Amino acid sequence: MTAETAQDDMDGGRLSHDRTVSDPNYDGEFDAVVVGAGLAGSAAAITMARDGLDVIVLERGVSPGAKNVFGGVLYTPTIRELVDIDDAPLERYVGEKRFGMLSDDDETAVALRPGEWHEEPHNDSYTVLRGDFDEWFAEQAVEAGATLVTETTVTDLLRADDGTVVGVDTDRPDGELRASMVVLAEGGNSLVSEGADLKETPDRRDVAVAVKEVLEFPDNDDAIQDRFRLSGDAGASYHYFGDGAVGDAFGGAFIYTNDDTLSVGLAYRIEDAVSSQPKPERTLNRFKSHPAVAPLVRGGRTVEYTAKTIPEGGADAMPDLVHDGAVLVGDTAGLVLNNGVHLEGTNMAVESGYYAGQAVASAVENGRTDADALRSYSRSLNDSFVVQNLERYEWLMETATEDRDLMFRELPRAIADAGGEYFRIDREPKATHAENAKARLLRTVGGWRGAAKLAWRYRKVIS
Amino acid sequence: MSTQPHVPDVDNATLEDRLYTVKYEDPGDSHLDVRIPGFCEERCTTDDCVEVCPADVWRKEDGDEVPTIAYENCLECGSCRFACPYDNVVWEYPENGAGVTYRFG
Repeated sequence: MTAETAQDDMDGGRLSHDRTVSDPNYDGEFDAVVVGAGLAGSAAAITMARDGLDVIVLERGVSPGAKNVFGGVLYTPTIRELVDIDDAPLERYVGEKRFGMLSDDDETAVALRPGEWHEEPHNDSYTVLRGDFDEWFAEQAVEAGATLVTETTVTDLLRADDGTVVGVDTDRPDGELRASMVVLAEGGNSLVSEGADLKETPDRRDVAVAVKEVLEFPDNDDAIQDRFRLSGDAGASYHYFGDGAVGDAFGGAFIYTNDDTLSVGLAYRIEDAVSSQPKPERTLNRFKSHPAVAPLVRGGRTVEYTAKTIPEGGADAMPDLVHDGAVLVGDTAGLVLNNGVHLEGTNMAVESGYYAGQAVASAVENGRTDADALRSYSRSLNDSFVVQNLERYEWLMETATEDRDLMFRELPRAIADAGGEYFRIDREPKATHAENAKARLLRTVGGWRGAAKLAWRYRKVIS
Repeated sequence: MSTQPHVPDVDNATLEDRLYTVKYEDPGDSHLDVRIPGFCEERCTTDDCVEVCPADVWRKEDGDEVPTIAYENCLECGSCRFACPYDNVVWEYPENGAGVTYRFG
C-alpha cells in the first residue's frame, strides 16, 4: 500500500492526500503527536488511539519503514498482544540460533535448534523486512483510529512560556501542529529531541555504526533452504564475533534468513570505526569473504545496501524519558540490548511505546501533561524486562571493552587452536592432544588462576 | 580471486552499485554541512567522518583541508554526527520525504 492510499483510506477519506500535502491544518486538532512511524511510534499510537485519544503520527519517509533499518529479528511478545500478527508480513520464524567465533580463517561455533522453536508462537522471534512490517504495523494504528501523515519531517518542538512542550513544527507550509502531548519516536539519530534539549548527543563509545546488505540468489532457488538447513517457514539467525567478523572493533556480524533473501551485516562501535578499522563497507566485504561465511553468501546479488546507527549505551546512557508535554521511546530513549548473546531492540521499542501510550492517555484524560503526570511511563518501563535487562548487562560493555583483545582476538584463536589440537588425528595418544589443547587455552587466559578470574568476571552472562 | 581453494569467491558489489540499489530523491540542497570549516582545517588530523562513513559521503582528496560532502550518497545513518570529535557536523533530515527510501530495511 502506498502512502497516498494509506491516507485516502483513513477515516473514510476524511483526509485527502492533497490536503496533507498543501495544508496540514491539523493545528490543535489532536491530543497527541507521534514523531516517527517505526515500531515504538506505532505501538504508542495504537495504545493511545484505543484509549480514545485523537492521535496523529508524522513520518518523514514516503511510507512507514522507508527510513528504517535493523538487522533483522523482530521479537513479538508485546506486538502479539497489541495486534493480530497472523496477517503480519513476517519472513521466517527463528528455528536456529548459531553463535560463531571467527579468527582469521577459523570458526568455532555453537548452534541451538530447540524443537519448541518450531511450534507456535516460535519463541516470538521472526525475521522481517522493515519496509513491509512497519507499513503494516502503522496501518494497524490507522485502523485503531490514528491519523498517519507521511513525507512530513518534524523540525522542532513548540514550547509554552514555561517550557512545556506543546506541539511540533514541521517542514510543511504553516507546519506548526499544537497538541497536548508529543511522543518522540524518531529513532537513534534523534535530531528533534537533541535539538530541543530533551537528550544529549550520545558519546561515540555508546553508538554503533551498522551496515547491511539484503542478498538474493537469482541462480539458485534453493540456496537459502539448503545452506541453512531450512524447511517450511523455519529460519535461522547466525551471529559472529571475533576479528574474522569485525576486525579490531567491539561488535559483531550477522546473517538472518528471510523468505527468499538473506540479511547480512555487521555493527561495531563508532569509537572503533574511526581508529585502525577499515571502513564499514570494507569490513563487510572481509566478513563475507571469511572461509566460514563465503559458502553461505556466495552467488548472492545485493538488492539493497543500508546503514544505521545503534544506541548501545545501556541503562547508564538512557536520557530522561518524561518531560513536560513529551516522552521519549524506542531508539530515541536508547533502548537497545546488545550483550553479545542477546541482541534485542524491537521488543523494547514496542514495550516502551505501549507503556508511554498508556501513560500519555491517562495524563491527557486527567488534563495534566507535566512530567510528574507522566511518571507512570518511566516507572512501568523500569519495572519491565526492558530496563531490568539493560541494567543486568550494564557491566558487560565495560568489562568486555577492557578485555577486548582477549575476548575478540586472542580467545577465538586459542579456542580454534585448542579445538584443532583436541581432535587432531595422528599417532599420538588422545591424552597428549587433550593436554596440549588445555595448555593452549590456559596460555591465553593466564593459567588456571586467570581462567578462574575470567569465569568470575563473566559469570553473569549466563547466570 | 580467493587464494584458498576451499573458499569460494564472493563477488561483492562495488560501493557505487550498492548505493544504486537504494531509491533516492535529491532534496536539491545538502542536508549535511560542516559547522566551522576552521576546525577541519586547523584542529582535525584524523578525519573521523571519512573513516566512519559507510557510503563515502565524506571525502578528503589530496590537498583538501575541509572534507567534501557527496550528500547524494547519504544513507542517513548519522554516524558522522556522532564520530566528529569537534561536534562539527551539521546534520538535518532531508525534507518532505526526500533522501533515501528503503524497500527492505
